[in-house]
Amino acid sequence: MIRITIKVVFLLLLPVLAVILVACAQTKSMVAWHPAEVTGSPICSDCHTDDRTAMNHTSDYITRHKFYAAQNKRTCEVCHRESFCSDCHAHKEDLKPSDKYKDSPERSLPHRGDYLNQHKIDGRINPASCFPCHGRQNNERCGVCHR
Amino acid sequence: MVKRIKMMLVQLRSRLNLQAAAAAAMLLTGLFVPGVSPAVSLSGESTTYLQSLQAADGTKELPFYEYLNLSVKEVGKETISFQFGGWLKYDLKGRFPVYDRTSNDLSYAYLSYRDTAANAVVNLGRVLVFEGVASERVDGIYARVDLLNNLSVSAFGGAPVETGSDLTATANIYGARISHQMPGLYQVGLSYLNEEKRGSTVREEEGVDLWLRPMSKVELMGKSRFNGDTSAWSDHNYVLVLGPFANVRLNTEGSFINYKEYFTGATTAVFRFDPAVIDQHEKVHILGEEVAYDISDGLKVSVNYRTYTYEVAGSAKYYGGNVRYGAAASGGAGISIHKMSGDTDRLNYAEYRAYVYRKYGKTDVTLDLLDVAYSAAINNVKNAYAVTLGAAHELSERVKLGADVEYSKNPDVDKDIRSLIKLTYSFDSAKEHHSANAKPSESAVAQTPAAAPVSVAASELAKPVAAPGQDKPKEGN
Repeated sequence: MIRITIKVVFLLLLPVLAVILVACAQTKSMVAWHPAEVTGSPICSDCHTDDRTAMNHTSDYITRHKFYAAQNKRTCEVCHRESFCSDCHAHKEDLKPSDKYKDSPERSLPHRGDYLNQHKIDGRINPASCFPCHGRQNNERCGVCHR
Repeated sequence: MVKRIKMMLVQLRSRLNLQAAAAAAMLLTGLFVPGVSPAVSLSGESTTYLQSLQAADGTKELPFYEYLNLSVKEVGKETISFQFGGWLKYDLKGRFPVYDRTSNDLSYAYLSYRDTAANAVVNLGRVLVFEGVASERVDGIYARVDLLNNLSVSAFGGAPVETGSDLTATANIYGARISHQMPGLYQVGLSYLNEEKRGSTVREEEGVDLWLRPMSKVELMGKSRFNGDTSAWSDHNYVLVLGPFANVRLNTEGSFINYKEYFTGATTAVFRFDPAVIDQHEKVHILGEEVAYDISDGLKVSVNYRTYTYEVAGSAKYYGGNVRYGAAASGGAGISIHKMSGDTDRLNYAEYRAYVYRKYGKTDVTLDLLDVAYSAAINNVKNAYAVTLGAAHELSERVKLGADVEYSKNPDVDKDIRSLIKLTYSFDSAKEHHSANAKPSESAVAQTPAAAPVSVAASELAKPVAAPGQDKPKEGN
């Protein structure tokens, strides 16, 4: 009963929200692409002083990027194309990200070296870390053994 | 009404021959790039890989891959664009023991409308959605917009794009997120996701996501997810970032995962609670601390410690550190040592990695060593390692050719040699058009793919900039 109610409320809210959205669309949009070319790992706080300073691409940023993407993907898109995300967050993939970019050993890319044996260990430690990428997508290779 | 929408989505999906679309786009791009209209900008990258490897059964394989991503926009107007990413594979030598000789994938392909007001965006096609609890790929629609008083909403719906044996054409997924923010102080979001297959719900998730900066040098971020189907929390994941204090940052991580609630809607058997692999009664608490110190712009050091406490399987800890050096003009190097210490033999090993990359003019050379030393031998192997040597040369501003060879030994393969050739071609018709027709100063502006259209709105992005005009990119690692 609760589930049905949630669905009904959700579906009813959609058109209402759409009308409100159009009426409220007054603020100016963020730029589509960063006005100055950005290369390497930018330190956003060198120029910005607001919440974008949280996106400083320091060496430990990779472990936190998921939080920013879940809240502000449009900010990521000011500098990154969609392919930058899909290089790792793939739907179906033969080549590991670390194989595609062996010419960039400094990048934090998953599954370096032969990962066949190591995945058994990592999967024991924290299978939840495998799930976002291989739970519902990019798991055809998993299915070869895990039938 | 809902049924009719579902039927339309199913019909749309069945009619949409994604493989044909991917092939057609790649073919058209090859024909289209040289003669693209000046009114339309076409930019992107083509990467061709030729890999040589040997399968576990001794079969030689020579797969050829073509990856293509492109973006089509109307010059001077940023409102409508088309984004595409996909790949094709063909095995030149023989048949893979597992896969077909040919394979392909459409990663994303969507028509995008971006309004100049309220950050309104509507994407239609195969879209990637990252919104609160949703981290999905959907054949359908995604939309977001800012409302009054710093409120924002987003919603998506369509057919889930998944892989696995139980994928069905009658599946559908939808969700939404509403958020409120005080820029620079906090952003909090509430999100909802529902996925159905064959008329019954396989996932129902609700979530809270948070970013909070109560004071300078203190940031808390994370999210919690609630399994609406079973009415129980599935996971919490939060990080507290302190600093920088004299170039030192402290990152504290705390996570909780309830396996039974977390692994829902899986399309692979490994996550379906085979007791030999994943115990559904398991719950894990993860606590971690990382101290990162930037000694200089190029030299960075970090140490980290993480504990895993399981309610069923015991505990484990992972700790170590790394040193990295990078200089954009010349190259860099890094070394890391980590140790895993757990209650079982498999969870006791040491991991070592060292790499170096060096630029010689237009040529890059890389060497990468990875070694894992197990406390107890696995398949009579106590030491698994991989050595990779690579080189890449910039043939022109747009074309780069590279090659690498990897030698490895591990518990599954005694000696494994793999090699890869990589050819990258970048294109941007707007940039070429500027270069051909503009004065030198104008072509410099065109280095940014969307430089012309964003110049009007640049003040909006630059508003909180401390020192206007000093947007100096930094090289790092």
